Amino acid sequence: MRLPWKRKAPEAGPQASRFENLAMPLLPSLYNLAFWLSRNAADAEDLVQETFLKALRGFESFEPDSNFKAWIFRILRNTYLTSRSGLAVNRTVALENELNETGESGPAQYPEGAIDRQTPETNLLQMADRAALQAAMETLPPPLLEVILLCDVEEMKYKEIAATLEIPIGTVMSRIARARIALRTALQVQHTSLRESRA
Amino acid sequence: MTHHLSPEILNALIDGELTGDQLASANLHLAACPTCTSSALQQSLLKFATVKAGQRYPVPSHLYNRLAGLASQERSQSEVPASRTAPHAQSGPSWGLGSLGWAAAVVLLLASLSLMLFQRAIQRAQTASAEHAALVTEVFDQHVATLAANMAPQVISTDRHTVKPWFQGKIPFSFNLPQTLPSDTTLDGANLTYLSNQPVAQLLYSIGKHRVSIFLRQNSSARESSVHATERSGFHVVEFKTNDLEVVAVSDVDPTRLAELTSALKSAQSGNTQQSK
Repeated sequence: MRLPWKRKAPEAGPQASRFENLAMPLLPSLYNLAFWLSRNAADAEDLVQETFLKALRGFESFEPDSNFKAWIFRILRNTYLTSRSGLAVNRTVALENELNETGESGPAQYPEGAIDRQTPETNLLQMADRAALQAAMETLPPPLLEVILLCDVEEMKYKEIAATLEIPIGTVMSRIARARIALRTALQVQHTSLRESRA
Repeated sequence: MTHHLSPEILNALIDGELTGDQLASANLHLAACPTCTSSALQQSLLKFATVKAGQRYPVPSHLYNRLAGLASQERSQSEVPASRTAPHAQSGPSWGLGSLGWAAAVVLLLASLSLMLFQRAIQRAQTASAEHAALVTEVFDQHVATLAANMAPQVISTDRHTVKPWFQGKIPFSFNLPQTLPSDTTLDGANLTYLSNQPVAQLLYSIGKHRVSIFLRQNSSARESSVHATERSGFHVVEFKTNDLEVVAVSDVDPTRLAELTSALKSAQSGNTQQSK
C-alpha cells in the first residue's frame, strides 16, 4: 500500500526504480544458485524469472530497512522448493534425520583419518583443481550445497543465511561444518581413486 | 588443552563469525595446538577454493535483458503520471512561435504519443506473456507435485455436492461443478492451494488412469477469454476465463478428452443445464 507522501516524492517511480537498482545486480548470483540447485539451464531460467516476477509484484511488502538480498534469495529458495526440481528435496524427509541437525556442536567431527591421511600438499593440489571441487560440490545434498554457496560464494553472514533459509543459526553452523566435511571427504575419495587408477 | 576446536567453531573462525571472546579463546587454543591450526588452514584453503569453484554459471544475456526489460517497464509505467505533471514545474512554451511551428510541435507530439503507446502495448504484451509463462510453470509444478506426493486430496469425494461446499469460507469465490461428466471421467476430490499468493481451488479428476488437475481462481481482469491450449513437457494445459473465474487444467491425457472435461466445466459456469446447484 502506498502512503500519500510517497506519491508526492520528487523522483518518478521510486519503488520500481529502487527495485531495479536492488534486483538487477543480484541476477548473476540468483542464476548461479538457481543453476546449482536445479542442475539445468532451462529450470534455472524458469526459477529466476518466477522469482523476479514474485519479487517485483511483492516489492511493496518489502521492508525498506531489511535485507533485500536475503529477501529475494528466500523467494528463490521457496520457489525452488515448490518446483519440480525441488520436489526431490521435499521428498527426502529422511535427509534431515540423516543430517542429525540439533543446532549444537554435537559430536560431529572430521571422519576418521580425513585429516591424517592427507598432507597439505595433496590438499592444495586437490583444492586447486576447480573441476574436482565442482564435482565434489555436485555430490552435496541440496541443504548442504545451498548453505555453502550462500556462505562462500555469496559471502552472506550466518544471520543472513538463517533468514534466507528460515532456519536457526545453530543449524546454519551445523550444515556448514557438515558441508565442508563432505567436500573434503569427496575430494579425498576422488584423489584416492585417481591414484589407484594410475597405479 | 583437552579438546580440539569443534568443526562449527573452526568454520565460524574462518567465516569471521566468532565474537571477540570466542576469537580470543580460539586463538589461545590454536597457539598451542598444531592439529587445529592445520585444520583451520585447510578450511581456509577450502573456503577460498569453493568461492572460485562456486561461481560457475554466468547468467545468459537473453535472460538478463528480458528481466531488465521487465524492471524498466515497471519503472516507466510508474513514471508516466509524474511526467504528465512535469510541464507545470517547467517554464512554459514559447508563445512567439508561428503557426507552422505549432503544427510541427503538434505533429511531433502526436507521433511521440503514438510511439509511446505502441511501446507500452508491446511492453504490456511482454509482461503478460512472462506472467502467463510464470503461471503455467506454477500450475504445472503443483500438478506434478500432487502426482509425486501421491497424497490423498484434502477433500475426497466423487460427489460434487460434497466437494463444492467444502470450499465455503476457504476461498473468496464460488464455482459450479458439471452435473454430467464425459465418459470414463470421475471426480476424485479437491485441494485448497495457492498460486501467486492467491487461494485457488484445485479440482482433481481422473480420465481413465490419467490424473487431471483443474485450478480455479478469481479472474482479476474481469475479462472473458476463449479456450486456449498449450503443451509443456508432454503435459497438456488448457485455459479459459469467465467473467469471474480463471481456469487452468493440466494433464497428460489425450487433449481432446481434456477439452471435453474443460468444456463441461465451462458450460457449468455459464449456468446451462449441466450447472450444479
